Amino acid sequence: MKKILLLCLLTLSCSLTASQAAAAKPPAPTENQASAKGVVRVNSTNQSYDYTRPWDKKNPFPRRGAGAILENGLVLVTAELVANHNHLEIEKPLTADKSTAEVVAVDYDANLALVKPVKADFLKGLGSFQLAEGARVGDSAEILQIENNGEIARTPATLTTIAVAPYPLDSLSLLVFKLSSPLQSRDSSFVLPAIREGKLLGLLMRYDARTQTADLVPSPVIRRFLERAEKTPYIGFSRLGLSFSSTRDPQLRSYLGLAQPGGIYLTEVIPESPAGLADLRRGDIILEVDGQAVDQDGLYEDPDFGKILFTHLLTSREPNAGPLSIKYLRDGKTQDVEVTPKPIDPTKSVSESHTFDKPPRYFILGGLIFQELSRTFLREWGANWTKTAPQRLVYLDAFQSELPKDRGKIVFLSGTLPSPDTIGYEGLNNLVITRVNGIEIKSLDDVAKAAQSPENGFHKIEFEEDPKLLFLDANQIEANKENLARDYGIPALQRL
Amino acid sequence: MFRPAFFAITLLGFAGFCHAASPLPKGLVRIVATSQEPNYLQPWSGGTVSGASGSGFVIEGNRILTNAHVVSNSRFLTVSKEGDPAKYLARVLHVAHDCDLALLTVDDPKFFKGTTALPFGGIPAIESTVSVYGYPIGGDRLSVTRGVVSRIDFQPYSHSGVDAHLTIQIDAAINPGNSGGPVLQDGKVVGVAFQGFSGDVAQNVGYMIPTPVVARFLEDVKDGSYDKYMDIAVSYHALNNPAMRKALGIPDNDLGVFVGEVYAGGASDGFLKAGDVILSIDGLPVSSDGTVPLDDDQVEMAEVVERKFKGDSVAFDVVREGKPLSVKVPLDRAWPFAMQANAYDKKPRYLIYGGLVFQPLEANFINEHNPDDLRLRYHYDHFISQALHLKKPEIVVLSNVLADPVNAYAGEFTYGIVETVNEISIKSLDDLAKAIDSGGDYVVIEFSGPGRPLVLKREAAEAATPQILSRYGIQKDRNLVP
Repeated sequence: MKKILLLCLLTLSCSLTASQAAAAKPPAPTENQASAKGVVRVNSTNQSYDYTRPWDKKNPFPRRGAGAILENGLVLVTAELVANHNHLEIEKPLTADKSTAEVVAVDYDANLALVKPVKADFLKGLGSFQLAEGARVGDSAEILQIENNGEIARTPATLTTIAVAPYPLDSLSLLVFKLSSPLQSRDSSFVLPAIREGKLLGLLMRYDARTQTADLVPSPVIRRFLERAEKTPYIGFSRLGLSFSSTRDPQLRSYLGLAQPGGIYLTEVIPESPAGLADLRRGDIILEVDGQAVDQDGLYEDPDFGKILFTHLLTSREPNAGPLSIKYLRDGKTQDVEVTPKPIDPTKSVSESHTFDKPPRYFILGGLIFQELSRTFLREWGANWTKTAPQRLVYLDAFQSELPKDRGKIVFLSGTLPSPDTIGYEGLNNLVITRVNGIEIKSLDDVAKAAQSPENGFHKIEFEEDPKLLFLDANQIEANKENLARDYGIPALQRL
Repeated sequence: MFRPAFFAITLLGFAGFCHAASPLPKGLVRIVATSQEPNYLQPWSGGTVSGASGSGFVIEGNRILTNAHVVSNSRFLTVSKEGDPAKYLARVLHVAHDCDLALLTVDDPKFFKGTTALPFGGIPAIESTVSVYGYPIGGDRLSVTRGVVSRIDFQPYSHSGVDAHLTIQIDAAINPGNSGGPVLQDGKVVGVAFQGFSGDVAQNVGYMIPTPVVARFLEDVKDGSYDKYMDIAVSYHALNNPAMRKALGIPDNDLGVFVGEVYAGGASDGFLKAGDVILSIDGLPVSSDGTVPLDDDQVEMAEVVERKFKGDSVAFDVVREGKPLSVKVPLDRAWPFAMQANAYDKKPRYLIYGGLVFQPLEANFINEHNPDDLRLRYHYDHFISQALHLKKPEIVVLSNVLADPVNAYAGEFTYGIVETVNEISIKSLDDLAKAIDSGGDYVVIEFSGPGRPLVLKREAAEAATPQILSRYGIQKDRNLVP
């Protein structure tokens, strides 16, 4: 108890001195401070859906970050900050004036979002940031944070690494600037702008307090995002649809007959992807991309950023750029092919890797809850979900690219609500559905459609695994469905 | 979820010698075993030597009955009896790991002098009193504890990890060292003490192997070898949902269970089908909870199959798609889950080539390596349920890379499942050995899933192998003997 009291006192006295200091010395408008006028606080109330009860939402929780006002009058924050938001506001740091805000564009793969205040002219009189041009390892920068009293705190930072690396969702690798900076926790947020000579170098997306390193979504990625955000609908960053492995191993090189230096081994080409459509295959050795030689680890010499991964050649192009050339080796022959990288439509994947801002689809039939598999569902098992979530479903998600091409969505029985109709079925869950009433199931819509045509008054549900099948009485579940919804507090028995 | 935590009740470590002079009963035996546990992390090593003690008792034919886990992996066995300070050399006649029983004998005829073979009784009544005899922790001399029969039920047998048989739960204290000792009622053996429940989750719960299981074991070995339990390899489910009964055309009479999974390659494959309703087994009516009337009691339907032997068959009356049908399932194979059962008395199989260690996937491998690799764990967990064993009877894994310049880039393949070697499909460790030995300038290994091939230059790999073996203290590059 004593400790807590002491802490409270300390915090109080700190903020008192801070505001006294602020009152005593009004900030002199220097050039640097002017640039800090483009920083606003963005408060978001986030509430995600509960995939174990897909008709419900979880507890809401608040998040905050420091956004950067851009020249187009919009505020840039990370996508993570606004994921599953149900209320968003922009707050002026010094006056605490607030306006409700809305998301104009969001890219979860690139972890960026553009936010706009609903009140007209709300940002009038505040500053804005230009995007920084280029960057070199060793550049000095500053990370901006908002103090409790609204002042802007600046922490010096040094650019230590430029690389192409996976972004937090692990769905895309893009350019990352790594900064070394002794940042303190303020406002319990690490969504912060980093500036160099008054211009926006990037937006902080990760900070490791132990090693004092910060990862930025850098200005080149922001620039490409802004170009994309001008168009509706928003179209994401382009990909090829392949994975590769290094050819460092001299025995592999000798076996493949790789005389020239460099080259990467294609380990997987997704059918129907740009690479697949261009007939690139597993085992091909990529030697050049867009005229740039690719070394044995997949790196090329970028004129601006040095040795980085060749995928930057695709992701750094303008959104509507045409095909690029790929030189590859197959059966000892060098060949060229034109490939047009395209964004991947995540809704078309067997199991979506993220489903922010979208309510989960479900269909309840007589107490049986059907859902479509997504990684969001599996993540309900916590940080260790790959080991603790139902293993058959984890496997289907992880190795979805190896499933038959026409597999469609994985529809599964996510749970069973005990009711007079489900006596004896109580423990059934996480079973993959193959057929309902004889109709093959490739989406939740198929289930809804099949549920229209019971056979001889019964719904027949077939599973991939034990217990293989069960029946429901069609008339009885129809008669009981209002009771079911009322007893379990379910607002609607389906969301499609 | 509540998970049962069974422990095997062998007393670890050697205890001092004992001289007891208890007059009753005259067939109790203390067994001291020196065993060597194989090491699946280093499959070439002989394994660590440890000692343990357990209990046993003399039965007719100058034999000693005890638990399989008392004598598993034993290298040296001695037995001693009450009132005789001598230690006698013993040897294993038969061991049944699937029901945790073993038969020993002593070649020195002096041993059996003065002992009396203990007679067997039947299944004791619930709440009747029983006494447990044996040599558990807490002292050197014979210990007797007493309790009542608490429950008669099917329970998992922790020794193999995959089997479940009829088990009797008693509330007499059963502690490490009691394993293999007799449980007596009215001077007759009604069970063999074999496992308990961890004290963290339950108190006064001890289990004994009842006489039907013992009798089956003794019957099975009469022909000189143990054939294991036969299994119908199906899952069946209670049939108490009214809609389910109606849809399957079954009257509302509390009879019948429905068949879920019929495991591919199991004894019922081709005889029973998912959705069949079993109404009777060998003429006994099956209740909708899966029990049948047997020996004046309702017992799990599986008990009928449990008592059978290789070559027997089981008769079912089923309803399939609304029509009655008689089905006879020949019992010609054991449970197909052998790969998921703990193995004993076997040397780990392996093959080392160019410092790459290959091992078959099996329970001991998973227990000791505990790999995180998702694909590997999936192949283990779903080996039967996804019928993976039909494609590959044995899954061969690159389990370790003994670092050497020849395999400097092979580390990323650890826990990979070998698919092909020089385009030869690998379905067992023997396949791998043949494919590797069959020539070619390169050994090209492809693994399951996306990835590059692992390539070794034959000349380099074969030049390096002897050095690698000597550097890592390995005598042989392979053990392919099952």
